[in-house]
Amino acid sequence: MKILLIEDEPELRKSIKQYLHQEGYLVESAADFIKASEKASDYDYDCVLVDITLPKGSGLDIIKQLKQNHSKAGIIIISARNSSGDKITGLDLGADDYLSKPFDLAELNSRVKAVIRRRNFDGNTSIVVNEITILPEQRIVKVNDDPVNLTAKEYDLLLFFITNKNRVVSKNAIAEHLWGDDSDQMDSHDFIYVHLRNLRKKLAEKGCNDYVQTIYGIGYNFKVNG
Amino acid sequence: MKLINKTIIYYLLISLPLLIMAGFCSYFLIRIELRDGADEALEKEKANAIQLIHSFTEARNVNLSFDSLSTIRVVAMGTGEVFTDTSIYDREEKEYVPYRFLKSHYSYNNNYYLITVSKTTIEEDELLEGIFFSFGIIIGLLVIAFFIVNWLLSKTLWKPFHKTLSELNTYDIKKHELHTFESATTREFNQLNSALNKMTEKIHSDFLQQKEFTENASHEMQTPLAIVKANLSLLMQSPNLKEEEMNQLQIMENTLKKLSALNKSLLLLTKIENNQFHEQANIHLNEAITKTLSNYADLIQAKNIQIETNFESKPVLEMDPALVDILLSNLFQNAIRHNKEGGKITVSIKDKQLCIANSGEPLTVNKEDLFVRFKKDDASKDSLGLGLSIVKSIVDLYGFEIHYDYSNSLHTFTIKF
Repeated sequence: MKILLIEDEPELRKSIKQYLHQEGYLVESAADFIKASEKASDYDYDCVLVDITLPKGSGLDIIKQLKQNHSKAGIIIISARNSSGDKITGLDLGADDYLSKPFDLAELNSRVKAVIRRRNFDGNTSIVVNEITILPEQRIVKVNDDPVNLTAKEYDLLLFFITNKNRVVSKNAIAEHLWGDDSDQMDSHDFIYVHLRNLRKKLAEKGCNDYVQTIYGIGYNFKVNG
Repeated sequence: MKLINKTIIYYLLISLPLLIMAGFCSYFLIRIELRDGADEALEKEKANAIQLIHSFTEARNVNLSFDSLSTIRVVAMGTGEVFTDTSIYDREEKEYVPYRFLKSHYSYNNNYYLITVSKTTIEEDELLEGIFFSFGIIIGLLVIAFFIVNWLLSKTLWKPFHKTLSELNTYDIKKHELHTFESATTREFNQLNSALNKMTEKIHSDFLQQKEFTENASHEMQTPLAIVKANLSLLMQSPNLKEEEMNQLQIMENTLKKLSALNKSLLLLTKIENNQFHEQANIHLNEAITKTLSNYADLIQAKNIQIETNFESKPVLEMDPALVDILLSNLFQNAIRHNKEGGKITVSIKDKQLCIANSGEPLTVNKEDLFVRFKKDDASKDSLGLGLSIVKSIVDLYGFEIHYDYSNSLHTFTIKF
């Protein structure tokens, strides 16, 4: 899987690259518009992460260029401008998702995976982790082929864990993933605990192992060996 | 007081003493001229009397006039001549009549005569009256003329000024339009207008700059925040973290989250206050409330809060949908956050009024400070203290009214549309 990361801030570029690399992606990066434009036209990518405000140009033009070249890459805008105007323009141009800075790397990872999944398999895919099977398009979870009846939040939580498996995911990252901007305003950590408790219970009822490790203080790790 | 009335008063204050002085001057000048004329006439009569004396064969007394005011008398001795003014009672007219006399000694053929000639100076009094009368009329006419002229001036000359004034009154910096004041034909007004143009241009550009600054500052902060956040995430993956280190990471992450929430809220406030939400849609308030409540079903359930809704009317508001979301979210978040376990929230809509009431402990801050930025209840450490400021700025933007009240252990926010 190949990803093009277009971001002018070197430190941010480095850490995104590192995180995605650990996820097994091949990450190419570009720091300005010209480099980005070159790379976008010379190679095929599965996903392009593009910042809108770039030196020497706009990330929106990169999206236009990709679309003109009939690129199959999924496009995610990562922007510091949390403006609904930019978001609408970007999505209208054909971007798949919009993530405003500052974002959590686990969140970025889950968005990248979702985009690639939709692009590559036209949605007809399943995520399999040992005895757990998730059909993302239908939002169905099965344990040993036995469907588990999860609430929307429990489903989102499980998928988030699995997309970031073997990684420490902070409670804040989970809260932001589940409640978006509203997570700023509430005592979300308690709610995560409630949802997680229910999720664990429901999975255990179907004979599923408990993969969720509590990492003291910070959050959780969905640990799957191998 | 109107400038025009002030000028009239000043004109009058200056012209009245001037006119009075002019009146006195002309009175005295004319009187001198008249007296000279009278004296000349008296001299002529004296000359006639002297001629008469020259025709005398012997010295005798003569009455020159029938009322014996002008006489030639033979006297023992005497020289010189003197003019005198006297009032004499006129029996027919029944009033004192002013007379001017010339008494002159004259000797002829060793006889001494006293020639007395007289003349009424009644014209002089009438003249004085005439002068005062005519000056009175002049002053009256002047006052009337001032009023008329000034009225006309204010209608025509001052017209550009009044136009500028009314334009200034309607000028609103927040409308983001640069107003230009048209040039006038009067130099002073032209100068005023060009000065105003310069000033509004400066204000406008400063306003834009400031707006841009707040926006840019908030945006610029997002990237460093993103870098710290990303690196914290990476650091968290480190396999050999001790418990204490993880605690520290947690503190940093929480603080970072707060910081970025703060930044987002400030940016939102700036955007609302800078009028950057332009979309207009018909919002069915009842539906919007139901939707918002369902978004918070989790939170409401977790705190065991009872929701009571009482929608008596169905107001439709013309607002930006994003702002409606933000408004209602903030109000309900507030009602949930400051609620107690097993408390309640009542939402009622009546006519053009929305009431959201929640159970909870009384405020520790002043009621008046509730909508002020960063003023928050001591109990809510996690709160940014911006939620209600955002609510207020949205309410203000649309010209609604919001009131807070606490009674019967219920915090009530009332919005009038």
